Amino acid sequence: MSAADRNLALRAARGDVGAFSSLVQEHSGLVYRVSLRVLGARDAQDASQEVWIKVWRNIKNFRGESAFTTWLYRITMNTCLSVRQKESRRDERHYDGEVPFLAEPPGGDADPETAALNAERRVEIEAALEHVRAEHRAALVLRHMEGLSYAEIAEVLDVPDGTAKGWVSRGRAAMLIALSKENGRKPGEAGP
Amino acid sequence: MMPAAEQERWEVLEKIGAYAAGELEGEEAREAESLIFERPDYRRLAESYARMLVMLNTFGNEHVEVPEAVINFALRRAYVSAFMRSAEVFLGSLGRSYLDAFVYYLGLRPGPAQEGYGGGI
Repeated sequence: MSAADRNLALRAARGDVGAFSSLVQEHSGLVYRVSLRVLGARDAQDASQEVWIKVWRNIKNFRGESAFTTWLYRITMNTCLSVRQKESRRDERHYDGEVPFLAEPPGGDADPETAALNAERRVEIEAALEHVRAEHRAALVLRHMEGLSYAEIAEVLDVPDGTAKGWVSRGRAAMLIALSKENGRKPGEAGP
Repeated sequence: MMPAAEQERWEVLEKIGAYAAGELEGEEAREAESLIFERPDYRRLAESYARMLVMLNTFGNEHVEVPEAVINFALRRAYVSAFMRSAEVFLGSLGRSYLDAFVYYLGLRPGPAQEGYGGGI
């Protein structure tokens, strides 16, 4: 783990608000980004604020056995998943057996300009994420957007490695099904 | 409980996804490859997965601007909480001092013991 983070966390645990402030400045991007991916723009701000309240309250429990960021990811994911549990669950897209297909971008896969997502693609991704079950979405975000290893995902989500792997796998498949349906939707057509 | 046919479809879907993500090795990778080579729709599926993974990676790497309100809220709460803790300690010790003085004033507690003269006169 980063020695600087550990040092700041230990000082914050003794009530040093300056040290806590440094942690907030350094890691607010991680908390907000993950909240945004898992919950969407509507709930990300409230969830991020709740995460930092929990961090301040519980910083004394941080023992430094894992990286500070792993501990922070765990609090963020627990907060996001509890927000989701409060809401009515949106159904995962049904897999009817038709093989999902994602159209090639206009410039082709090799076109570097298509590497940057246009607004339409971004909306499709956000809409498709909504149709992936919360735990699977959390695992998918950690793996394919945050780049965590399966061991790290298992630690963050507090599940065995095999479960983490299964959740990523199912999330990936559900995401492709949802994305292919969003991709096939005509512009301006409303979602379900 | 998921019907067997649907379960099987999900397994193929997930296997090709894992292959596209580069997570399969040995026999499992060869099984996925033979599926992809045998059926054009599975080949398109593998290509779709590859496209999606690039999109997710790009999406994940995009810079996200944190609203100032989030940072300000977190810091304000921490400062208020730290101030309240200090105030609690300060008022607690001040209150104890006043109580001690009041108890002493009422004569409910003897003052400091008088020093003896060591034999007297």
